[in-house]
Amino acid sequence: MSNNKSETKPLEKIIELRLPSRLGYERVAMDTASSLARRMGFQGDRVDALKTAVSEAVTNAIEHGNQHDAAMKVVVLLTVRDDELIVSVADQGRQLLDQNNVTRTPHIEDILDKSDKGGWGIWLIRELVDEVEFTTAPTGGNQVRMVIHLER
Amino acid sequence: MLEDELNVGIRQREGVAIIDLMGDVTTFAEEKINSAYREVTEGGARYVLLNFRQNDYINSAGIAILIGIVTEVNRNNQKLAVSGLSQHFQKIFRMVGLAQYAEIYQDEDEALQGFKSATTA
Amino acid sequence: MKTTYYSASMELSIPSELGYEVIARDAVAAFALRMGFTHERVEDLKTALSEACINAIEHGNMLAPNLRVNVACMCDNDRLLVEIHDQGLKHHTPAQMPLSMADKLAGLGSMRGMGLLLIGQLMDEAGFDPNSQDGNRFHLTLYRQHTVEHVPSQRTE
Repeated sequence: MSNNKSETKPLEKIIELRLPSRLGYERVAMDTASSLARRMGFQGDRVDALKTAVSEAVTNAIEHGNQHDAAMKVVVLLTVRDDELIVSVADQGRQLLDQNNVTRTPHIEDILDKSDKGGWGIWLIRELVDEVEFTTAPTGGNQVRMVIHLER
Repeated sequence: MLEDELNVGIRQREGVAIIDLMGDVTTFAEEKINSAYREVTEGGARYVLLNFRQNDYINSAGIAILIGIVTEVNRNNQKLAVSGLSQHFQKIFRMVGLAQYAEIYQDEDEALQGFKSATTA
Repeated sequence: MKTTYYSASMELSIPSELGYEVIARDAVAAFALRMGFTHERVEDLKTALSEACINAIEHGNMLAPNLRVNVACMCDNDRLLVEIHDQGLKHHTPAQMPLSMADKLAGLGSMRGMGLLLIGQLMDEAGFDPNSQDGNRFHLTLYRQHTVEHVPSQRTE
């Protein structure tokens, strides 16, 4: 990629995906991300891990950020660089993420007694990608920025 | 319907109640999985196998549902196992801690073998 | 019993570089599956979409790597409509006498336009928007049920 004499290729390529905020559409983001990751040369298990992380991020955006409002969009930006893939998922932020949820690690033993068995999504994202950042999107909603590094 | 159709089937094999999960396990799967589990339990099942398909996916909502099943299994003094999961989701199960409560097998036959050899209690 | 489907839309933007049509293809396929189309129809759509994107990249955008191709999908109770929009450095000019597949196979005309023929055979409707001012807009339509008999030799422009 770096030895092209005739063209100066930009350092990164961006794919943008805008999805309706309805559960089920995370599948589109997952397939887009895995298609891209495979094209970049990521191996099977890293692709699976990215798919699950993207699934969780988009599901959160649909359910919490955009509160299932189908008219609102989830914006997924996939940035291809030489040695890494960056996936950022932004919602329009009806409900901003409680930063306390970001660092919590759920424990199954504690959860068995509770009626709410959930809360695994953010933790899964943290465990499955190389870098993750939970911030505010330029447009004002929640943004999750996930990075996976390409090992050559 | 646009939600992923999860199809749930129930079978009996060698004293084990097998619940086949065909499709993605997400929030929409809750009622189907819970009612299948209820049905086998009311039928007196002591050994329950959740049989997945390789290419389906399970998101965190699905994991929450399965943890709910584990809670019931513990309460009802049953033994639970899972089979058919991809390598990736076997890893997720272990990460989440489900492996402590449900034995993970590669496939159905291995699971039935496993239940047989564990019948000491 | 007639199922009522939600209407939904999705947009995707890719760099105008060969290879990226694969990403668009997979995204649109996932969307169409979600919207209830059969695997067989989705395979047709994948091929048609790839061809349309390649046309947009190669001909519409003339392989300029800094340009974009935008794909918009709209789906309702009756149909799925996909629009492929390039930045139109080269405006598509319809052939004076469009050739049929038989003509092409006989060696008449160039191999360009093969993609359009293929698209026409696979989709229920396909064609360029003649009124587009800002680049080429090519649309593909998939009906939910084949109420109209599909005519394989239908030409597209």
